Amino acid sequence: MSSDRVLLEVRNLTVDYVGDNSIARAVNGIDFDIREGEAFGLAGESGCGKSTVAFALARLTRLPGLVSGGSVRFQGEEVLSFEKARLKAYRWREVSFVFQSAMNALNPVIPVSEQIMDVIETHNPELGEKGARARAVEMFELVGIPPQRLDDFPHQFSGGMRQRICIAIALALNPRLIIMDEPTTALDVVVQRDIIEQIVELKSRLGFSVLFITHDLGLMIEFCDRIGVMYSGELVEVAPASSILTNPQHPYTRALGSSFPPLSGPRQRLEGIAGSPPDLRALPQGCRFSPRCPHAMALCAQTAPELRFYPEHESEAACHLLN
Amino acid sequence: MIFLARRIAFYIGAFFLAVTFNFFIPRLMPGDPSARIIASFQGRLNESQVEAIRKSYGLTGSLWEQYITYVGSILRLDFGISTVQFPEPTASLLFYGATWTLVLVGLAIFFAFIIGSFMGIHAAWHRGGFFDSFFTPINVMLNAFTPAIVALLLFYAFSLQLQWFPLGRAHSTSISPALSFEFIGNVLYHATLPVLSIFLVSFGGWHLGMRNVMINLLNEDFVILAKAKGLSDRRVRYRYVARNAILPQITALALSIGFLLGGALVTEQVFNYPGLGKFTFTAIGSRDYSFIQGQLLLLTASVLVANLLSDIANVILDPRLRT
Repeated sequence: MSSDRVLLEVRNLTVDYVGDNSIARAVNGIDFDIREGEAFGLAGESGCGKSTVAFALARLTRLPGLVSGGSVRFQGEEVLSFEKARLKAYRWREVSFVFQSAMNALNPVIPVSEQIMDVIETHNPELGEKGARARAVEMFELVGIPPQRLDDFPHQFSGGMRQRICIAIALALNPRLIIMDEPTTALDVVVQRDIIEQIVELKSRLGFSVLFITHDLGLMIEFCDRIGVMYSGELVEVAPASSILTNPQHPYTRALGSSFPPLSGPRQRLEGIAGSPPDLRALPQGCRFSPRCPHAMALCAQTAPELRFYPEHESEAACHLLN
Repeated sequence: MIFLARRIAFYIGAFFLAVTFNFFIPRLMPGDPSARIIASFQGRLNESQVEAIRKSYGLTGSLWEQYITYVGSILRLDFGISTVQFPEPTASLLFYGATWTLVLVGLAIFFAFIIGSFMGIHAAWHRGGFFDSFFTPINVMLNAFTPAIVALLLFYAFSLQLQWFPLGRAHSTSISPALSFEFIGNVLYHATLPVLSIFLVSFGGWHLGMRNVMINLLNEDFVILAKAKGLSDRRVRYRYVARNAILPQITALALSIGFLLGGALVTEQVFNYPGLGKFTFTAIGSRDYSFIQGQLLLLTASVLVANLLSDIANVILDPRLRT
């Protein structure tokens, strides 16, 4: 379903968190593309920089976070140098957001109708209140919530319904890209499945791209076309979802895959990843994964490997073992 | 509605508890108010005259009978007869004083709440900026002043030295009370300094409260989402952040009523303002039991009414309390 045309091009994106006496480089020069109609996943453990990337792409990074370098091109235009008016159109008309917790993403004291209509009215003032309401009704029908509940307040909906409302708000202006930062983490597995199926269905109908962030690798493999695996602020592997677990190239991806227990087959001992991620303020020289890597060589501790494309696996990986 | 009914029932109960305490506490103390009057006649009263005076103070019969009589007269708004301004009924003195106190405290609260809250909104929105780093510490400092100091300083500077404002009273004796611009203007002129002194020590509290709640809310997902939606700054600030931050402020407002009425006592004394506080001051000095008791009840009632009003306001403003 994804075409080969690139929608969003991220090059050497670097994000720092600035402290009083220290700088933590949360995202260290990462490169990836999101194609039109594609679902691109970012996986990795907590604190690896997934959400920081998502926020940077939408220019939502706030102090102490700072996008300190690189480029983000949306349909060829440089997002990082957008001025205020262009940014306003970019955010929501072209790129929209679904947050992790549906519980907190809606203002508890104003009706949901107002929260979907305000974004429509702000960006399409010519529609007027009536037009905005009609569009809101349409969106509610699209995500399967009875439009007569439009004027209810957030607390009157279940968690799953609230997340659907958030998706309706994200879809309201028919954007090209929706960034979903752990959209189903706060929901139980049944509701999670419903929502994901709905997103898949809407995606094929409306043709938007998705940047999907989660630490649930299983869910991600089902939903995404390609997956990028992040470790300590760097992309260590970008591969098609179909092969990322069956044919992982990077030792970290392999280790991540083997931390999931198989549901069938003989019982086997799970392999964890020894150690913990490095402190971003005191990074090891060379490959960041090398202190925890079972295959580390002398070279790994000295120079950091670059993300390179390996045509035989159709994937990109950053590891000295592959050379 | 069940919520409100429950609150009202609670407040009625609390009021009767206050009435009961108010009845028993003076009777636990040695002596009674009638003794003072009787003594002032230096034994020139006969048995039946003494009995008549004691009866007028509700001091005849068993304790239970006295209590029933007391509750009955409270319900008829009969607070007995003032001993100091004998035979003036206490009720009329109370309501006269309460009217002027209401003018003072009402105006002061109104301005302090509105101005303080707006300053807090502004300081939180541009936190760390000039406005915030200048006014926040100053307002905290002002808030730490006692009303007595501020009232004395203002009185000394503007009434005694500069003579811009009158030395006392609620209005000039030359104008008789009427609903005319002249009279109202005169009242406001006399109220300026007392109102200002209550205002100065209280608006910092609203500034600080609003600022703190606002800053906490700024990190909520729904606020970040509102900004990402491209809504105008104004809309995010007032409709999404301040709209939520005002809820705890309203509750704090009700709680502050008691404190402010207490503070008004000193202010009225300094400015020789004929409010409840000034009468209470005199009444305590001259053991006017019926006035002190009535004032206590009025204070209790006004705190309860303020709480009830804040409950109603909360039900109107917070949809989560309505169901």
